[in-house]
Amino acid sequence: MQGDTAGVVARRIPGRPGRKGSGADEDVDGRTLSWALRVAGVLLGCTTAAAGLLAFLLAGVALGPFLLWPHTRPGAFGVLMAGARRLAGLERNRRSFFFGDRFPEHYESCDRKVLRYLAVRGSTGLLCGVVIGLLGIGAVLAGLLVRGAVQGSLRWGELLTQSLLGGVLLFLGLQGLRSLVALDSRLARESFGPSEQELLQRRIDELAVSRAAVVQAVDAERRRIERDIHDGIQQRLVALAMLLGRARRGRDPEQADALLLQAHQESRDVLAELREVAWRVYPSALDDLGLEEALGGVAERCGVPVRTEFTVQGPLPRPVETAAYFVVSETVTNAAKHSGATAVSVRVLLDNQVLTVRVRDNGRGGADPAGVGLSGLRSRVDALDGALHIDSPEGGPTMVTAELPCV
Amino acid sequence: MRLMLAEDSTLLREGLVRLLVEEGHEVLASFGDAVSLLHGMETRQPDVVVLDIRMPPTHTTEGLRAALEIRERWPETGVLVLSQHIERHYAAQLLASGAERVGYLLKDRVAQVDEFLEALERVRAGGAALDPEVVRQLVIRSTHGDPLGRLTPRERSVLEPLAQGLTNTAIARRLHISVSAVEKNLNAIFDKLELSRTTGHSRRILAVLRYLES
Repeated sequence: MQGDTAGVVARRIPGRPGRKGSGADEDVDGRTLSWALRVAGVLLGCTTAAAGLLAFLLAGVALGPFLLWPHTRPGAFGVLMAGARRLAGLERNRRSFFFGDRFPEHYESCDRKVLRYLAVRGSTGLLCGVVIGLLGIGAVLAGLLVRGAVQGSLRWGELLTQSLLGGVLLFLGLQGLRSLVALDSRLARESFGPSEQELLQRRIDELAVSRAAVVQAVDAERRRIERDIHDGIQQRLVALAMLLGRARRGRDPEQADALLLQAHQESRDVLAELREVAWRVYPSALDDLGLEEALGGVAERCGVPVRTEFTVQGPLPRPVETAAYFVVSETVTNAAKHSGATAVSVRVLLDNQVLTVRVRDNGRGGADPAGVGLSGLRSRVDALDGALHIDSPEGGPTMVTAELPCV
Repeated sequence: MRLMLAEDSTLLREGLVRLLVEEGHEVLASFGDAVSLLHGMETRQPDVVVLDIRMPPTHTTEGLRAALEIRERWPETGVLVLSQHIERHYAAQLLASGAERVGYLLKDRVAQVDEFLEALERVRAGGAALDPEVVRQLVIRSTHGDPLGRLTPRERSVLEPLAQGLTNTAIARRLHISVSAVEKNLNAIFDKLELSRTTGHSRRILAVLRYLES
C-alpha cells in the first residue's frame, strides 16, 4: 500500500499530464513576480550556465583518467556527481527564487537526470547569453541608425531597408529568448520533479495496487458474509429444526408445547438476525433514502451514543456515498466493540468537491490500520482516489478521516 | 451412551445437550473448541465424541484434526464429525484408518433428529455413519460409470445406504424389504463391481468407498 499522500501529491503538482502552462507562469502566494526578478534570473542563468560548463570541463579533465579506469570509476563518478548535484541545487534555487517555481520537496532526481539537465542547461544558457548579446548589438545598431536619421546622413530608402531588417532580427531575437526562457523552465520542472512519464508510471502503479487491494477487500467481505451466515443464521436454523424435532419426539404434550413455544421464539430471532446480516452486507436504505438516513441507521444500531453532523446539500456520486457509509459503519462498530468509547462523533461535509468523513471516539485508541476492517476501508477509499487517515495513539482518542473526491 | 460434545455455537451446543439428555444419553462434558475437548479427553473417555469441523481459533479444520488425534490415541472412542459443507477429502482422511467407530455428517443432518440419533448409535456400535450427501457425491462423481450402470435400480438403491454404513437390517428397514432380499442384492452388487466378498461390516463399506473413489 502506498503512503497516504504519495498519490495526492502526484496528482497535484504542476506539470501533471494533460496540464498546460509552465511553472514559471504560476502565481506565488497570489502575486505575480516582478519582471525585474525574472530578467535578473535569466541573466544570472547565463552566468551560471557558463560557470557550470567551465566546472564540468575542469572536473572532466581532472577526473577523466579515473573515470576510464574500472577500479577507480565508482569513486571518481561519486565525486563528479556530488559536484553536479551541488550545481543542480544552485540552479534549482535560482528557479525557485527568481521565477517562483515550486518543486516536490522529497523528490530525488536520478544521476542520469541531473547530468542531462546540466549538459542541456549549459548549452541553452550559453545560447541564451549569445541571443542577449545579439539583442545588445542590435540595440547599438538601432541607436546608430536613429542618430543617422536625425542627422540626415541616411537616405530614406536605406533607412527603410535597415529598419525592416532590424525589425525582423529583433523579432527573431525576442522569439528565441522567449523560447529559451520557456525551455529553461520546462527543463527544471522535468529534472527537479517527476517527468510526465514518471507521473504516468506512478499512477499506473497506484492503480495496479489499488485494483489488487479492491479484489482482496471484496474477498475479505465475502468471507465475513459467509461467516455471518454460517455462524449466525445457519446455527440458529439448525437449533430451530432441532427444537421442532424434539417437540415431535416429545413423549408428553406439555413438553412438546414448551418446545414449540421456544421454536416459535427462535424463528423470530432467526428473522431478526437475517435482517441484520442483510443490512451488514448492503444497507438498502442507502439506495432508497440516501446517505444521511443510512448513517442515522448506523447511529441507531450502535450501542454507544453517536452524534452525527451531516452538512451536505444535494446528491453525491453513488460510489462515494457507499464508501462514506462503510467508513462510518466500520469505524463506529470498531469504536463500540474494541475501544471502550462512551461517545462517538461523526462529521460529514462537502468542501471543494471533496467529501470529508470524520469519525472520532473517546476510547482507548490503538486501532491497527493493518487490521482486516481498516485495510478493507483503505482499499475502498483508494479505489476512489481518496485518502484515509487513521490517527489512533495508545490511550486515544481515535480519529479516522476519509477524503473522497466527488468527480 | 456417554458422550462429549465440541461445538462453538453455544445455541447449538445447548440444543444438542438437551436433545441427547432427553433421549436418555449421558453428556459428560461439552466444549466450545477442540483444544479443551482434547484436554477433557485426557481425564475420561466417552463412548462417542460429537464435534464440529470448524471451530476457533481459525475456523478451518480444528475439529477434523482433533478427531484424527482422538482416533489415534483413544481408538475405543467413536468419533462423529459434523461438517458445514461436504468435503470428500475430509471424509477420506477420517476413513483412512478404517471405517470403525467413525461418522461424518452434514451439520444440518442434526436437524433430522431420527437420522442423527441413528447415526450416533451406528458409530457407538463400532460401525460407520456417512452422510447420504457424501455417498451421493461419490456415486455421481464415480469414474466407474459403466459398472454402476450395470446395477439394477433396486441394487443402486441398496448401494447408497450400504456406503453410508447401514447394516443389512437397517437397509432392509429403510427400503421396506426383507433382510434376505438385501443380502441377495448385496451379493449381486459385489459381483458386478468385482469387489471381493468381504465379510465384516466396516470392510464392505470401505470396499464400496474405495471403489467409488478410485
